[in-house]
Amino acid sequence: MTDTLLQARGLSKHFGGLKAVDQVDLDIHTGEILGLLGPNGAGKTVFFNLISGVYRPTSGTVHFQGKRIDGLPSHRVAACGVGRTFQIVKPFASLTVLENVLVARGITRYGTFRRLWGPWQSKSETRAAMKILERVGMAELAERKAGLLPLGNLRRLEIARALVVGHQLILLDESFSGLRHEEISQLETLIRRIRDDGITVLLIEHNMRVTMGLCDRIVVLDHGRKIAQGKPQDIQENDLVIEAYLGSRGGRHAA
Amino acid sequence: MDAYLITIGTLIVIYAITVYGLNVIVGYAGQISLGHAAFFGIGAYASALLTTKAGLSFWEALPIVILLSGLIGIVLGLPSLRLREDFLAITTIGINFIVEALFLYVPYFGGALGIGGIPRVFLFGIKLKGMAFFLLCLSFLALVIFICWWFTRSWGGVACFALREEESAAASVGISPVRFKLLAFVIGTMMAGLGGALYAHYMRFISATDFSFPMSITFLSMIVLGGMGTLWGPLLGAVLLGILPELFRPIVDYRILFYTALLLVMIRFQPAGLLGEGSIVRKWLILKPAGGRP
Amino acid sequence: MQLFFEQLLNGIAMGSIYALVTLGLALVYGILRILHVAHAAVYTVGAYAGLFCYSYTGSLLLAFLGGMIFCSILGVAIERLVYYPLLKYPPYVPLIGSIAIMLSIEEICRLVAGPYILTFPATLPFPEFQLGGVTISSTLTAVYVITTVVLGLLWFISTKTELGLAMRATSQDIPIADAMGINSHAIVSIAFVIGSSIAAIAGILVGIYYNQVYPTMGTVPAYKTLALIVVGGLGSMPGAVIASMLLGVAETLLIGYADIPLPRDALAFIAMIAVLMWRSEGLMGSK
Repeated sequence: MTDTLLQARGLSKHFGGLKAVDQVDLDIHTGEILGLLGPNGAGKTVFFNLISGVYRPTSGTVHFQGKRIDGLPSHRVAACGVGRTFQIVKPFASLTVLENVLVARGITRYGTFRRLWGPWQSKSETRAAMKILERVGMAELAERKAGLLPLGNLRRLEIARALVVGHQLILLDESFSGLRHEEISQLETLIRRIRDDGITVLLIEHNMRVTMGLCDRIVVLDHGRKIAQGKPQDIQENDLVIEAYLGSRGGRHAA
Repeated sequence: MDAYLITIGTLIVIYAITVYGLNVIVGYAGQISLGHAAFFGIGAYASALLTTKAGLSFWEALPIVILLSGLIGIVLGLPSLRLREDFLAITTIGINFIVEALFLYVPYFGGALGIGGIPRVFLFGIKLKGMAFFLLCLSFLALVIFICWWFTRSWGGVACFALREEESAAASVGISPVRFKLLAFVIGTMMAGLGGALYAHYMRFISATDFSFPMSITFLSMIVLGGMGTLWGPLLGAVLLGILPELFRPIVDYRILFYTALLLVMIRFQPAGLLGEGSIVRKWLILKPAGGRP
Repeated sequence: MQLFFEQLLNGIAMGSIYALVTLGLALVYGILRILHVAHAAVYTVGAYAGLFCYSYTGSLLLAFLGGMIFCSILGVAIERLVYYPLLKYPPYVPLIGSIAIMLSIEEICRLVAGPYILTFPATLPFPEFQLGGVTISSTLTAVYVITTVVLGLLWFISTKTELGLAMRATSQDIPIADAMGINSHAIVSIAFVIGSSIAAIAGILVGIYYNQVYPTMGTVPAYKTLALIVVGGLGSMPGAVIASMLLGVAETLLIGYADIPLPRDALAFIAMIAVLMWRSEGLMGSK
């Protein structure tokens, strides 16, 4: 058996009468790229927000490396070592690319009052941040203002920030949406390399093709429930999945 | 030096200290505050009461005043944690009106008469007046600017910048919104408290109307004029808005109109301030970057 | 008991006038998301313009019309010259602009009309009533009737006409309204015409009610109405009216009966903070 890095059990989130996520069990194994797939409105983003601390679950638990993290606020989940990106990119717009990564380098300090007062642009911090930027292929953009970058670069910048925070696990929220064809294949290469460096990746995606090619394992949600999990080829042949996707194909493409 | 110039200079320096505090809250952490004069007033009243009624000296009272201002800053900063921007703006206006009303209507605070007979500041047994007091204020200003400079270079400061830019992204890299908003409020209100204490011992008589809402607007205008979130903007703004009314003194009747119209023109055509992004001063001062970068 | 009823009637009149001013603020906030502090200056200008027309023509009807036209032009000028170009900046930018306009207009009023209090010696042509020993003066009747008519008209416009529909669409999302073929900029201007006209009516009513018109008569309403639109739920017009009525009555009764150490002008803000702690979106607001 492989190690379980993150374990969700019976996770639910209800908004009034709507069961956005309903009794979902999910394991993320160490070292894999796990895809969380589902048509629009399936509850992927809500599930993602439950793990990353944006929402408090209605019921159920989340353990990360054996530590219970459900109900913790976002910044505490981040401090546990879970990095994340945003579907609608959220750069610190008036800071440079390098400064954006440096902000994330403070992850070990923001929780301890007396460690807040040192300089954040020190040589060693800058060097470490540059290394991360090299890893995502953005070193030459380091001095650019983040707010002026095109979407493809912003997605990489968010991955860079997530890598600083998540030594073991990063959560990617539809990092491929809105990208051009060649940007998608570059990003696929980057994510594989991140996995090969030993970092586990949870990928939310509604683009079937990307997910099938990239993920080691896939979990499919529909109407808030887990309807299938397994290897990409098993998922492709799963009747429930085909039905869920065909049933909402029109809506999916309109979005 | 001319006594008149020293008077104006001292007031400008005291305002600058206070405005640097506001810059931490609004410019660094991005939390709108339209009630900064209330904290300036809390510092002034606390120092005035401690020195006139409790018999402390300025130096004994000062740490208590600053701590008290910071503490009240936390309490009154709590709304910023759960209110959206516009609500927060109006709530801070409300705080200003309520604090002013308390000063005015609670007999302990001297009521409409205010507090008089506030002692001068002594240093090493020397009574500080005129130039000496100006220099004292100037040293405090230097200290405040140094703290602000340090803060912008520290992890605490960059956490506030991140919150200002994108709150949820900041949380995703471990920055607690609650902790750092309150931190900015505490630093900002402590500086206002310091400014208020100096003001009380300089004027030696204070009353509630010194700390009314228009004063908050003046403080905010100083930052807007100088350049929000910049290191030297608050000083520039305080100097300009401190001197302009004096320059307009010859045209007595039109003075306030000029002043308000100038503020309107500034905010309409240079909303980022004189030292802010894309401002005229920046365009004059900074040469075109080398290497053809935009 | 008789005193209580008199106070209550005055309180309702006070609340009506607050409601008239607050409505304009709620209308502007609903569409542009700008805190239109200068609205209270428009109200002051309305009182002056009405007084000017009245003293030259002797006709109250012309006074109201003149005030409404002049204020509409002023309101649209503020919107076109200051607010619209500042929409893309953070909210404090137009807010400071608005405060600067407010102070500038106050100063202009002082310079043009003088710093002293002018009287507005007009009687509104409304009947007087006797109700169980309590007299409802013709001015009170006028305030009640005019407020009811204005509120009724506004309700009719916003719910029953195409203009109202276009205004609601614009307040949802300006680009989408544009895409639907609505000339949103024109709608915004119409909202300012409506809000400013109502402010003029309120200014003239207050001038006659207290028989006073002076440059700083807008200062206290300027900030109090801000608190009122918060209590009502930012941008909600029914909320604004209810909050205004409650405040008018509460202020008048508290001054008459309770011995509180706070001035009545702080009451609005205390109520506001209490409401915000209880329901952070206001009485009738939506998230």
